[in-house]
Amino acid sequence: MKRKWRDSGLAALMLGPSAVILVLFVIYPLIKAMWLGQQRCGVTSCTNSGLRQYVDAFRSNEFQDSLIVTAKYALITVPIGLVLGVGLAVLADKYMRGVGLFRTIFSSTVATSVAVASVMWFFLLNPSVGVLAEWIGGRAKTPGLLQSPGLALWAVSASSIWANLGFTFIVVTAGLQGVPKDLYESAFVDGAGGFRRFTNVTLPMISPTLLFASVVLTTRAFQSFGEIDLLTAGGPKGETTTLTYLAYGSGLPTSNDDGLRATVSVLLFFVLLILALVQFRGLEKRVHYGN
Amino acid sequence: MRGRVAVSVLIVGATLAAASCRSGQSLTNAGIDRKPTPTTASTVPGQTTVPPTTLPRKLDSLPPCDVSKLDTAAASGPVNITFWHGLSNELGRELERLTALYNSSQTKVKVNLEFQGGYEQTIDKYLQSNAENRPDMVQMPEYMVQQMIDTKSIVPTQACAESAKYDTSPFLPQALGAYATEGVQWSMPFNMSVPVLYFLKPRLTAAGLDPNKPPRSLEELLSASKQIVSSGAAAYSISLDSDFDGGGGWYIEQWLSKGGEFYADNENGRAAPATKVLYDGAPGVKLLSYLQSLITQGGGVYVGDNASGQDTLFKLADATKPAAMTIATSAALGPVLSILGGGVIPGITNPDVGVGFMPGPNNGAGALVGGASLYIVDGKGGEKAAAAWDFITFLESAANQSAWAAATGYVPVRQDALDLDPIKSLYISDPRFKVAYDQLASSMPGPTSQGPVIGPLKQVRRATAAAVADVLSGGDPQTALSKAAQNANDLITNYNAQNP
Repeated sequence: MKRKWRDSGLAALMLGPSAVILVLFVIYPLIKAMWLGQQRCGVTSCTNSGLRQYVDAFRSNEFQDSLIVTAKYALITVPIGLVLGVGLAVLADKYMRGVGLFRTIFSSTVATSVAVASVMWFFLLNPSVGVLAEWIGGRAKTPGLLQSPGLALWAVSASSIWANLGFTFIVVTAGLQGVPKDLYESAFVDGAGGFRRFTNVTLPMISPTLLFASVVLTTRAFQSFGEIDLLTAGGPKGETTTLTYLAYGSGLPTSNDDGLRATVSVLLFFVLLILALVQFRGLEKRVHYGN
Repeated sequence: MRGRVAVSVLIVGATLAAASCRSGQSLTNAGIDRKPTPTTASTVPGQTTVPPTTLPRKLDSLPPCDVSKLDTAAASGPVNITFWHGLSNELGRELERLTALYNSSQTKVKVNLEFQGGYEQTIDKYLQSNAENRPDMVQMPEYMVQQMIDTKSIVPTQACAESAKYDTSPFLPQALGAYATEGVQWSMPFNMSVPVLYFLKPRLTAAGLDPNKPPRSLEELLSASKQIVSSGAAAYSISLDSDFDGGGGWYIEQWLSKGGEFYADNENGRAAPATKVLYDGAPGVKLLSYLQSLITQGGGVYVGDNASGQDTLFKLADATKPAAMTIATSAALGPVLSILGGGVIPGITNPDVGVGFMPGPNNGAGALVGGASLYIVDGKGGEKAAAAWDFITFLESAANQSAWAAATGYVPVRQDALDLDPIKSLYISDPRFKVAYDQLASSMPGPTSQGPVIGPLKQVRRATAAAVADVLSGGDPQTALSKAAQNANDLITNYNAQNP
């Protein structure tokens, strides 16, 4: 008992710094945002409208539209990004000459900032001076992929998938290197072909990695702002106005109203919270942790 | 197991909530106890709900300015002032140069220039600062007039001008008027731009048009457009956008003003704060129908929301399906010419670019001022306000306005700047730079020649931009404008309720 108490003093000392940082930079801002989210603000003062502001905001056309846009965006970027990332990682997981070069190329996008990636894609897809637009032709030329209702979200997704590919590649490559080689050997001896080995050995063994990557990619999709702001500014016709853009984009009902911005941000927080819970709870039992 | 049930319930609940609970209300009205204002097509343009009064002067109830306080305070060392601005790159560097020149030219005031990253960042930071953290002087974009008034944190520059017996007669009345409401000059114009017509002279010549006489009226623009496309001079006549800072918002204000129409009630919010927009009336519908006809009959091309701000101009440089004309801000002329000078765009050279008045009613005469103005912040002490005023008069002197305009491509705020080099010789050597000035100076006198002052002007522009996007893709002008007006009126009503 005595020893336990002595330990807890030490524990408090060790945990103190991170606890202070957590309270100061995470918990306090969160509570402040939740409180601010109940206010409507003018340029000098705010008026409290209570929790109903969250309900109203959640049910509003703009929020519902953005929620659907964001869900679509995640449904496009996460699966495609995962499949491409795993594909490239499996391709590069070989012991042969020059594979390091490919690994460098495949992972290079991780060193590209969202802004750089977006500006690059903006010029590739620009309907007037873009190389890609010229090749694709049709609606990529008039009015342009980023300008076409129905296609703009796909075009932004392409930029985002490309930019996140390096991250997925690195994470999955690391996962692949943790797969014991003797498993492949015994599968081979058992007569399993290349595809069987991939589905029955590789995938189960890297499933924790895939879960992690999918959670991170989903969170990124729900928080993406830079590519939206730089490529489409939420247009055309609001079709790329994601939740983060709704919370901060210029000229939207939220701009210059800190209360409403907080409302949308807090709602986004809860949406993400539920989503992460669902992902962990739902996928956890399908994930093989190796024992 | 229980955990899984709870999660399942949570998922089902959240999905049901997300799927079925759309209220049909705008986010604008979240948390507000009030039915949205019903849409009523406004039929009485320019109606005034509060009659403008002249006595007692509103200025007398606002923070005062005594410029003599500067001399008293400067006796014991220079007065330090902080100035927040949002100008980047070349613009920022020229402002730095002028500021350094000011600091070294006198000993009473020392200006500390603080770049905030852009207009939006300046606005956010200013609105979130309390009286203590605010700067002594701030640059704000043109759409911020009503919000700045409502912060009740500024010393109207008119108070300083009267205290200093400052002569405002050389200023362009359009430039000063843009920042005046209810008889008060709130801030001083500094960097000004207006939209102008950009065109490629060879394409107009190829269509049998005179590149020295670009279209001025809307009728001329439509017929010239038809001629360009039918002659095969270019694939498209004119590129149009629905950017809220451009074709979707700002230009709509320009066109209504050129046509002598009000955009919002209470004389565009200048006699008293605006309570609703008027653009959904007959003139607005006529205008949007015209824009639609430019696409359907005139061979124009709609380039979308122009999120980059450059899509309309890029369309002129399109290698396979180019346009011959577009409308863009005069501030783009310098960058456009320097890009062309770099030889990046094959087949288009600097002299090919022509500039004309933005075509519109009244032969395209007149324009509303874009850009930004300078505000003096209250509550920092009389000597700080006086020091800020001193710096403003330096920046607004004829010589410095001439240098500023020549270096940046902005329109000088005063007429006598044109008599001085370097702008004098620039306007002679390249008259394209003078078009914006001439267009602004040609505004017809009257209250409609000053643009709307509305608290949430930027959001209101976004509402009209949605309407323009709709109409340029084939939508019905009246339906689109009515919807935009309802959104705008909701925004204005809420703003007025929150900023009594």
